Amino acid sequence: MSGKVYGMKCNSCGTVSYPKHAVCPDCRNERFEEVAIGGEGKVLTYTDVYALAIEYETRYLRLAIVELDDGIRVTGQLLDDEPKLGMRVKTILGTVRQSGETAIQGLQFVSV
Amino acid sequence: MKPVYIAGAGMTQFGRSEWTLMQLASVASLAALHHANLGDIRVDGVVVANMGAARVNRQTALGSALVDQLALYPATAESVENGPASGASAVKIGVQAIASGMADVVLVTGVERMRVVNGLEGTDFVASLSHPEAEYIYGVTLPALAGMFARLFMDKFGVERKHLAMVAIKNHENAAKNPYAHIQQTVTMEGILTLPEAAVNNPPIAEPLHMFDCCPVSDGAASLVLVSEDVAAKLGGPKVRVAGIGQATDTHAVHEREDPTDLKSVRIAAKTAFDRAGLKPQDVDVVELHDAFTILEIAESEASGFFPRGEGHKALERGETRLDGALPINPSGGLKAKGHPVGATGVAQLVELVWQLRGECDARQVKDAKVAYACNFGGFGNNVVASVLQREA
Amino acid sequence: MGNISELEVLLRPPAMDMPVYPPKAITLASGETMVVRQVAREEVPTLLEAIYPLLWVERDFYDIVAARLFGELLAYKRYRVKDEYVLVGLIDGVLAGMVNGRLVDEKTGMSYHTLTIRRGLRVGSHLFAAKMEYHIEHCQQEEVLIVAESPIGFRRWMIEYPLEKKFEVQHEMGGVPSWLLPKDVYYAAKPRLVAGHRPISDELMKSSATIILPEEETVVRQVAGEKEEQQ
Ligand SMILES: CC(C)(COP(=O)(O)OP(=O)(O)OC[C@H]1O[C@@H](n2cnc3c(N)ncnc32)[C@H](O)[C@@H]1OP(=O)(O)O)[C@@H](O)C(=O)NCCC(=O)NCCS
Ligand SMILES: [Zn+2]
Repeated sequence: MSGKVYGMKCNSCGTVSYPKHAVCPDCRNERFEEVAIGGEGKVLTYTDVYALAIEYETRYLRLAIVELDDGIRVTGQLLDDEPKLGMRVKTILGTVRQSGETAIQGLQFVSV
Repeated sequence: MKPVYIAGAGMTQFGRSEWTLMQLASVASLAALHHANLGDIRVDGVVVANMGAARVNRQTALGSALVDQLALYPATAESVENGPASGASAVKIGVQAIASGMADVVLVTGVERMRVVNGLEGTDFVASLSHPEAEYIYGVTLPALAGMFARLFMDKFGVERKHLAMVAIKNHENAAKNPYAHIQQTVTMEGILTLPEAAVNNPPIAEPLHMFDCCPVSDGAASLVLVSEDVAAKLGGPKVRVAGIGQATDTHAVHEREDPTDLKSVRIAAKTAFDRAGLKPQDVDVVELHDAFTILEIAESEASGFFPRGEGHKALERGETRLDGALPINPSGGLKAKGHPVGATGVAQLVELVWQLRGECDARQVKDAKVAYACNFGGFGNNVVASVLQREA
Repeated sequence: MGNISELEVLLRPPAMDMPVYPPKAITLASGETMVVRQVAREEVPTLLEAIYPLLWVERDFYDIVAARLFGELLAYKRYRVKDEYVLVGLIDGVLAGMVNGRLVDEKTGMSYHTLTIRRGLRVGSHLFAAKMEYHIEHCQQEEVLIVAESPIGFRRWMIEYPLEKKFEVQHEMGGVPSWLLPKDVYYAAKPRLVAGHRPISDELMKSSATIILPEEETVVRQVAGEKEEQQ
């Protein structure tokens, strides 16, 4: 991963999908361009999850689904101490998982 | 399509087991074969459902391995890995074989031995069904998806934690009457929700879900013997027909669904199953739902067509889904308390329903059950198999 | 113990004054009440009897925990550990689990073992919490040293509290690296991990006065998670 998170924009109908598919879910076209995903939006739902994989040495992880203002939805880690449904957030890139030596980069949300 | 009957059903005790994967599978299979009492009628094919053996037990090609255990050569053999829906998927494949005329007798066995690894690794292996780039890397696990779903669903429909606790209390109570259940322990509203002690007794797993909202991690196996109409006639005895099976998929990443609280795949699978059966939700007498998380029992009871959207928790509150209610849900104890050996679950749900339709459930028997329904919820709703069974004569 | 020999006096570790753990009652998920109380030296043989069959249960490292606990309890009974204490959880008088530990000095406590007999009701978590409560609140200590010898223990204590690494201190139990529960972490965790109420009723006091042992077979079956076989 190049550090950014990408979705795809359909060359035919312009629909942006995230995550990527091999075929446009809207028009079945097979050609796309990559678009970076991110920006501001609102928290659709969130959870504090304690049932975690072994890589996480924390007690829990705060995960959320965020609806970005462009309509795209993303799942990521919510870095806020007072989460609320509907709260305004923006995306940042950060280390979301440590897999052996590799620090995996992904979307995190902070309040705006 | 030719009609398909279930002639025998058996399972192992769910829970922690010292048995190997194949011991579990064999014991359940033999129980089902004995239940069917096939005599000298041959088994044509074996389908084994499992999710994690390649990873946690380092064993693959389970179908052939089970044929060998049971010395059923040269029967055909398949293995089905379809996440938590593996069980009902395998049943569907067995049903197709008989309905098409390619086989007369098919043994379908679901098996999982996931307690060999510690809980952390078990959680991670199930989490590997989530979207690798858009979910898994963030630390998403099944409880996490269920927690996010629950928060949204509860907010939208006014479901409270007490409703979730009611599901748990009911299902634990049913499981206490089921000798095969993993957890045979009743729980109380005070102990898991209202007293201060509940904070310790029932710790958070994925807010707003707590431990007693989650299924335990279980080992176990369950098995069915599917037969053609001819074979069913030869065997005599009670006849349970596979009246209809429906299946539907949805987006891999949960966030991509238009309305993440709408279990569209359940709706479509259920409708297909009922249409194929020529029956309606109102005809159903007994139900097994995939309550890996308590919220799912409520949501699936609506999406399957038993209650209007947003009304599932009200029916629950009125006691309609209790063992003695108008529509008993999860008389076996459900995944919540009977346990959830992932690949075995879809088969085990149908095992319970076959026993219910044959009147063999003793203390947890639903009276005069004629039509039964099961929902096996795979992924986090991205692959769902619904089944309708009917008792004939 | 009026007339012990002079040699015995030398063999016994010097003892500090230790407060008695005030009994408490906890309602479990099942609705049952578990009384947590301290045991007297005279009750140790009863506990040894309960532990004995577990010496051979490998599952979840019960064998190691049982063997060590057996030694520790015996040493407590015969005055060979300094400042040890043992707490038990009793449901209708029936033994559900036990925990032990000792005071290293006035400031530091050391947690020994937690052994749950009745599983699935967070009995272990409640009892472990009770022993932390004893060290910090009743003995007024600053910190407790802890080790985990099983993955379950690791997840329960190290992550749930969460404990701090104190690997430079090796635990008495054979050198496993230690973890530390400092007072402030204890108080932060208290609302979600320490439960129960006091004082307990006379009735509960009475019903938990004598430790009743479950059948040996029941103990092993509950611990090993085996159920009566079907078919
Ligand atoms: C909820 C959960 C995290 C609890 O794990 P845990 O605290 O490590 O529990 P343990 O494995 O130590 O279990 C100790 C005892 O507690 C009880 N227990 C565990 N989970 C329980 C649950 N969810 N409900 C009721 N009792 C439970 C059992 O009696 C168990 O005894 P056993 O070892 O004989 O089974 C775990 O059960 C879990 O991850 N469940 C979800 C599984 C899942 O996601 N499945 C896939 C869904 S599609
Ligand atoms: Zn398109």
